[in-house]
Amino acid sequence: MRVGLYLVIAAVGLLIMLVSGCKVSDPMKVEREVVEATKHRVTVGGKTDKNPLPFNAENLAAGKEAFGHYCIACHGLDGQNTGVPFADRMSPPLPSLASAEVQSYTDGQLKWVIDYGISPSGMPASKGTLSDDEIWSIVHYIRHLPPAGSLGEPEMYSH
Amino acid sequence: MMHRLFKPLILGAVLMTALGGGRISQAQAPKRITIVAKRFDFTPGDITLKKGEAVVLVLTSSDVDHGVKFKDLNLNIKVPKGKTTEFPFTPTKTGTFVGQCSVFCGSGHGSMKMTLHVTE
Repeated sequence: MRVGLYLVIAAVGLLIMLVSGCKVSDPMKVEREVVEATKHRVTVGGKTDKNPLPFNAENLAAGKEAFGHYCIACHGLDGQNTGVPFADRMSPPLPSLASAEVQSYTDGQLKWVIDYGISPSGMPASKGTLSDDEIWSIVHYIRHLPPAGSLGEPEMYSH
Repeated sequence: MMHRLFKPLILGAVLMTALGGGRISQAQAPKRITIVAKRFDFTPGDITLKKGEAVVLVLTSSDVDHGVKFKDLNLNIKVPKGKTTEFPFTPTKTGTFVGQCSVFCGSGHGSMKMTLHVTE
């Protein structure tokens, strides 16, 4: 049953690739829906993993700091792509971390995505680059993002 | 008369010096533990301390900014690139504790760890 599902997904992906070539373009609605459903229900693991760090001001601040070291180049200081010049010019486009698409992952899935990345997309695997505690604290930050634009844009894009 | 007064004074002074001197020599300076932080490990990566025994942790960075954080000991020492930070520390509980680099330092930062054993 699952093998059949994978084959259908692969066929749809192949068809889309053939139609669109390798040029960056906005994904079609069907492409977006298939990919989202696949990620949420099949490919992204960690669904039942729980955040071992309690939510408190200290862990939220740690998450914001770790996010600021590593994630802001693509996601912006606010996690909502503010000031990131290429955010909507990638395929797939960078999602806002405040969007339902991202927020509907469980905490464990968010940790898994940060650990292992998402292919095909620009999301890298960060296990070993960030510690487990840092990644779990980032999950807290993603769950409590500041208002869009409230932190300005990353300094690297201001020069 | 003066000679009689001086004699107990001198004897007292000698006694005080002897006793006091003994105390000073017993209070030795804390042991210094030097740890070198370099992308992406600590050298040594494993140290053993005794509970209740004061030491000075001497953390040196030989490249970029680093830090070492032992969450369970509420201990976080940071060191700027090329500098040394001295941190007086007396362990109060026994066990094996894993320290993690606490300042983002690059692609191997998340796996930059060291182990601290505290024994009785």
